[in-house]
Amino acid sequence: MPYNIAMVSDNFYPQPGGVESHIYQLSSKLINRGHKVIVITHAFKGRKGVRYLTNGLKVYYVPFWTVYRETTFPTVFSFFPIFRNIVIREQIEIVHGHASLSNLCNEAILHARTMGLYTVFTDHSLFGFADAGSILTNKLLKFTLSDVDHVICVSHTCKENCVLRASLDPLMVSVIPNAVVAENFRPLSHHSSDPRRNNVPGPPQPLGPDDTITIVAIMRLFYNKGVDLLIAAIPRVLASHPNVRFIVAGTGPKAIDLEQMIETNVLQDRILLLGAVRHEEVRDVMVQGHIFLNPSLTEAFGTVIVEAASCGLYVVCTRVGGVPEVLPNHMTEFAAPEEDDIVAATGRAIAKLREGKVRTDLFHGQVKQMYSWTDVAGRTERVYDGVVGAVGSEDFYGGDAAHGHPGVRSFALIDRLKRYYGCGIWAGKLFCLCAVVDYLLFIILEIFAPRSRIDICRNWPKKVLGRGEVKTTDMAEEAEAILRKRDMRRRGSE
Amino acid sequence: MATMIAALQRLSSPPVQTLRTLQPTQATVSYTVSTRPEAKTVTAKVRFYTGIALRILVGVAVALLAWTKWCASREKPVVALSWTLGDTRSEKLLQSVSRLPWRYLIPASLCSVYLALRRGYTEESLVVLRGLGLQTSTTSSIYLRTPTTRFIPTTSVQDVFIHEAFKGFEIRFYLAVVVREEEDVVVVFPRMLPRRGILEEVWRGSRRCLWEDTESGKGKGRTREDA
Repeated sequence: MPYNIAMVSDNFYPQPGGVESHIYQLSSKLINRGHKVIVITHAFKGRKGVRYLTNGLKVYYVPFWTVYRETTFPTVFSFFPIFRNIVIREQIEIVHGHASLSNLCNEAILHARTMGLYTVFTDHSLFGFADAGSILTNKLLKFTLSDVDHVICVSHTCKENCVLRASLDPLMVSVIPNAVVAENFRPLSHHSSDPRRNNVPGPPQPLGPDDTITIVAIMRLFYNKGVDLLIAAIPRVLASHPNVRFIVAGTGPKAIDLEQMIETNVLQDRILLLGAVRHEEVRDVMVQGHIFLNPSLTEAFGTVIVEAASCGLYVVCTRVGGVPEVLPNHMTEFAAPEEDDIVAATGRAIAKLREGKVRTDLFHGQVKQMYSWTDVAGRTERVYDGVVGAVGSEDFYGGDAAHGHPGVRSFALIDRLKRYYGCGIWAGKLFCLCAVVDYLLFIILEIFAPRSRIDICRNWPKKVLGRGEVKTTDMAEEAEAILRKRDMRRRGSE
Repeated sequence: MATMIAALQRLSSPPVQTLRTLQPTQATVSYTVSTRPEAKTVTAKVRFYTGIALRILVGVAVALLAWTKWCASREKPVVALSWTLGDTRSEKLLQSVSRLPWRYLIPASLCSVYLALRRGYTEESLVVLRGLGLQTSTTSSIYLRTPTTRFIPTTSVQDVFIHEAFKGFEIRFYLAVVVREEEDVVVVFPRMLPRRGILEEVWRGSRRCLWEDTESGKGKGRTREDA
């Protein structure tokens, strides 16, 4: 059953990032499965209005005022008129919000529930509980999520975090990891460049003790990505390993610190700073290196690690958040998020590579079998089925856990108010007030901007596949699934 | 309750837009979108012409008033007035007019002239002539002023398309013409922004009229078949 889905988030292209590519990939794969998907985001500099992307993915860049790191200002109700207009003209049934810090997403979920639409929320990031900022964000998240139909998290760590932050029923939260487009992250083919190997299959030549090992680090240079750790670790790694050089790509507020470090230690010839790199160019940067270093302090999933492994890089990363779930042990070297341990782990990784113990040439194939967006879209579709009630609650929540879980959450205002009221002594009442005002706003809008006055959009014309073609793609997917299952079993027995 | 909501809806609703198509030959077509209700019945026609007569009457009355006031301020016998009304009556009239102060008279007369000249509707049109080009026009908000028009020769017309844009708190469809070597597109019907049904009809018709025999119109833009 095809759905009309609206993805809502503050994060979308042209801004680079993990959430952005997640939304794009998921949307295009859902479109391939026959759904209609639109993306609603705020206007970026030089990009405002309605646009179409490949595959007929329609993007609404809503003109809005941005305050911090491309996030819009939290005005609880101001988004409602435009949002309602979009939802009606596109005949949306499911509103899928992404990223908990995105104000647009929080608002959209509230309004969507008021309008009687199904809502799904995907959490991409981890948050703390202690500082004032986190408490505020968590309260806001609790407000949004106390009346959402289902939540998707990108890793089990993320799920745990999310359940705790928003006091959710764990049954309401599914884990669907991110994926990568493995074709876009191919390693350099050594066969063509290296005449000595002569196309003979087998392990590649181990790196000699004098060969230069290149360590790549790609990140937006913000505090939470662990730039400070990187700055502290680089001089020490370079001091203890003579034939090593670094490539650092990305921009951000911490770029100046990085440059200062290079100048104080006079490392200009061993560190290459690339500045901002477009997502399409990431692969070209990655394949220049042997080791990928990711010193992130908090990471819900870490798509970049998977991308690096897919490019055939050995990964050194901090053991934080969902990172340990992402890759099998033979692809990674873990470190605690502290300077000494990162230096030590990098040293271990360099040694392993020099010994030729790591078969980085096999990484690409393994990653390709583990992660695919088609699979992610399939699982997301199942969540939609469950939310809408197309799959029975017993099937969806599993066995006896389904007791007390009605298939579809009630849209009645009184039921919604009950859910909000439980959020806290003061917060509960405040949230109820917001919900009531939102409902009144909805009625006012229905009077002064009635549905009859809003034109319905035409859908993107779909290519009708012949019967045979459909069959072949199905079979290919089945084969892929079987392969993946086998691989999982093999990994389990190891 | 329901009737109140219906009344509110009707009060807040924008005027109804109608599309009039005029196609004298295969190569010429004119589309006019208007908020003026078409006068079809006799009463509607009568109302329409009385309206015009009333406007003219108001205009003439204001002009006459201003003229008599001016005459009264000169304090000279007015030959034309005494001719038409007789001496005593014209004397009375001049006296009463001179009692009206200028500072009320000027704003009031300006206001009534504006009301008399104000067009109660907007009308926007698109004329397509194969081999020549197309012309958009928008009526001005008051009578006596010429409409704003823009002519685009066929050689400069790159494409005609329908797209959506944010306008206020809603998203509206618009029909636009891409002009060669110009950064901005020309929006057809910029003031009214008619609804999708009207736009699609105009879009199809104008493309057919502009590029029918070249067949290039077919490949350009999106084919919109499914609803």
